[in-house]
Amino acid sequence: MHNSLKRMWAVLGLVATVCAVAATSAIASHKAGPTIVIWTDANRAASVGKVANAWAASNGATIQVVTKDFGSIETALGTVAAADAPDVVVAAHDWTGQLAANGLVEPLFPSKAVSAQFPKYTLDAFSYGTAVKKLYGIPVQIENIGLLVNTKLAKIPTTFAQLESEALAAKKKAHLSFGICVQQGSGGDAYHMYPFFSGLGGYVFGTNKAGNLNPKDVGVANPTFIKNSKLIDKWNKEGLINSKTDYSVCDTAFTKSQTPFWITGPWAVSDIQKAGVSFKVIQVPAISQASVPFLGVNGMMVTKFASTHNVDTAAKDLVVNYFTTPSAQTQLAAAGGRAPANIKAKATDPILAQFGKASKGGVPMPNIPQMSSVWSDLGQAWVRSTKGAGAMPAARSFKGAARAISYKIG
Amino acid sequence: MSTASTPPNPAEPPAFHPGLIARSIAFFSGSVGLGIKVALLAASNALAVWALYVLATHHRWPALGVLVVATLLIDWVYLAPVRWTLPAKFLIPGTVFLVGFQIIPILFTIDVAFSNYSTGHILARDQAIAAIKINSLQPPANGRQYDIAPARDSSGRLVLVMHDETGGKVYLGTPKGLTELSKSDVTIGATGQPTAAKGYKLITGAELFTLDQQLRDYKVPTSGGAAIQPQGTAIGVELKPTLRYDSKRNVFVRITDGKVFHDNGLGSFVSGPDELEPGWKTHIGFRNFSRIIHDPLVRKPFLSIFVWTFVFAAATVFSSFAVGLFLAIVLDKRGLRFQKLYRSVLVIPYAIPGFLSLLVWAGLLNDDFGVINRVFGIHVPWLFGGNVFSWLPFISWPRIAVVLVSVWLTTPYFFLVSMGALQSIPDELTEAARVDGGGAWQIFRRVTLPLLLVAVAPLMIASFAFNFNNFNNVYLLTGGGPYNGASSIAGNTDILISYTYKLAIASGKGSDYGLASAVAIIIFFIVAGISGVSFWRTKSLESLR
Repeated sequence: MHNSLKRMWAVLGLVATVCAVAATSAIASHKAGPTIVIWTDANRAASVGKVANAWAASNGATIQVVTKDFGSIETALGTVAAADAPDVVVAAHDWTGQLAANGLVEPLFPSKAVSAQFPKYTLDAFSYGTAVKKLYGIPVQIENIGLLVNTKLAKIPTTFAQLESEALAAKKKAHLSFGICVQQGSGGDAYHMYPFFSGLGGYVFGTNKAGNLNPKDVGVANPTFIKNSKLIDKWNKEGLINSKTDYSVCDTAFTKSQTPFWITGPWAVSDIQKAGVSFKVIQVPAISQASVPFLGVNGMMVTKFASTHNVDTAAKDLVVNYFTTPSAQTQLAAAGGRAPANIKAKATDPILAQFGKASKGGVPMPNIPQMSSVWSDLGQAWVRSTKGAGAMPAARSFKGAARAISYKIG
Repeated sequence: MSTASTPPNPAEPPAFHPGLIARSIAFFSGSVGLGIKVALLAASNALAVWALYVLATHHRWPALGVLVVATLLIDWVYLAPVRWTLPAKFLIPGTVFLVGFQIIPILFTIDVAFSNYSTGHILARDQAIAAIKINSLQPPANGRQYDIAPARDSSGRLVLVMHDETGGKVYLGTPKGLTELSKSDVTIGATGQPTAAKGYKLITGAELFTLDQQLRDYKVPTSGGAAIQPQGTAIGVELKPTLRYDSKRNVFVRITDGKVFHDNGLGSFVSGPDELEPGWKTHIGFRNFSRIIHDPLVRKPFLSIFVWTFVFAAATVFSSFAVGLFLAIVLDKRGLRFQKLYRSVLVIPYAIPGFLSLLVWAGLLNDDFGVINRVFGIHVPWLFGGNVFSWLPFISWPRIAVVLVSVWLTTPYFFLVSMGALQSIPDELTEAARVDGGGAWQIFRRVTLPLLLVAVAPLMIASFAFNFNNFNNVYLLTGGGPYNGASSIAGNTDILISYTYKLAIASGKGSDYGLASAVAIIIFFIVAGISGVSFWRTKSLESLR
């Protein structure tokens, strides 16, 4: 009957589609040789692909570069299905604790000759362990903030007192509500205020005998810092610091030559150069101690999925022996606009060199998972005591933050 | 000749002209409809085959079974020539989406709420044990590191030609142990790598990577339980395990002092305060819920945050409704010039992505640099400030700012909704009220508003539920701040959902998805309870009809 004919056509159509799909998926899944999957952010995707493919071509491997939002790599690694998981990831050093504690990344063992090409702190930044530390990543590029000085408006300060008086003079002249522009906001920003915090004797975590960061030793309200914290109240009163400034306020004020002083990192440079402002980058002059910045190191890690995919040895070769070479480091760091971690790699950019000098004595951002309890409270403590009228005395504010942090860490 | 007029045609039956809808239904009922049906079914079957392939490669057999049964059932319902499946044909598409996008996420959230899923508890148990074993490998004192080259000996077995970085000696590594080779037999390259060895064939190129598993498991034993293990194809490191897994007793034993780490039932091996990393994901019963009740960090600010969340959502909805309705009535006047223009302008806040306008508002409201304070020459501490009245600490400037911006974002919605609802109220009713001598206010209060509420009240409840969880509005504007108390966990403008985020994602030791899911479930019950009561109350409005 007519109806059964229709039905037959329908069934035939279904069968045909099913076969077509099965065939395409079978073809798509067929690969030759070891394939190393690398997760990277969009900025570095091209150079990571280029460097890795140079290695792969001479070793008979295939590279598959997957572009991800940089910030999402850390969490995505914990939820991704093994079949889609990467073998190598671009990573920030402060993810090390989280990823290693989750058992998602593999320890790496570069040769002594390779290790010797990296500053010790960059390797420390990627090391983690509750008892004995192990290296979980290869440093590729380093970044830090510094004090940007508009050389037309101010002399390069050599002491903090000089910085303070110049900043206050400039503030008065331009009718600004701040002397030094430090990016904050109502939520606070501990990364950008850290030079002042360290200059007053503050620290986040102390170290134990083995040299590991100790989450039980929180130095946010240590006695030295609390003693010096009266200075914060003074700066707030005279308007040297004003936490209502955010990135766009600072960017506008500095590029329009209203303020001579801005504490920021290499990401701000292109805006300033476009505006034609001549500037120099220095470390914030010492207050009671050296005012060192937080250091950030980006690099490459080998995930535990590399063994699942049977490309573990290949991935380790690529990361430990190839991404560490000076030429690879130069290319990778240039793509991110930062200085390479390998001391033999050439950083020709004079401004990056100035940022490099401003990093002297700096502290890598703590890479233990407990740091997630610190960021917001430390930033908020600073904002509470530098928000102008109605600010809380710094001693009280930071003591409160220290209590909250210790409580959250438990 | 008379021309006989042609007789009129016998009256034809009036031609039947089906309407557009009827015609389109007819168009789809024939072979076109069958074609579309087959195409859609083929697409859904193709999707299912693809999913089958993925599930099979991941060894998810129960899910695969469900998928096969569901797909066959769908095919049968749409193809089988039986009448009684007709209702199912209409219900299936909606049901599939309901299950996929509502039921499964809810079940998943409930599952997570009863687990310890968090930083350090992500892997499965066997994976965690493997990771602990790898992590426990330590270079022993005076442990050496070698530049290695995998090679084959005369009988084709895999061996390692090794160059000691510190001593400069060369060795042959086999699963039996180390044997020193004569330096003259081995050529060392510029990087310290052996590049040739007499009597051994070095493995190079693509063949190396086919040996991945063999190299990973390759061990050249040295003294005291340590072994040289390849790390990649070029480096061998002497490593010694510091922990031993006893699978019978299900414990890890520290080799140096015999300390026992036992399974604590909560996804970790522990010994006193010491915990081995990583742990694994497991179910922990009601612990997350009891933490919400017992942990003062969670419990103490909960009530005040709850009250503020309620006030925030209610203030937003009622103010937006009032403003939106006012504008709708004003612009409803007939013969108003530029009516369309006004209406379009008023809808703009709704059309701009909320993220964008929130960030713009954060800039506009900045206490010192914001346009608003500058233009009006005022010094209102919108984002950083404190109380408006010293005797009423509940109302602070940042809270007012959050509500204002939220009203700005929500008003266009109620403007549109009210406009539509107003037009649906028959003119006769207001006309009749006017004839009866009602004033404008009286007519609005007694006739327009009640009729309007029949349509708008359910939307107000939905909007309330949305604003109760309006994370973006708070987080992008104030970040939950300011933090005026000495302790800085709950900010002044934090609502329940933003507080939960801080508690679960940005505190303690990394992220705690289990706790976050538990709080999410509690918030769900709160919102469901409020909405349920409200819907029940609005039923009384419907009696107006």
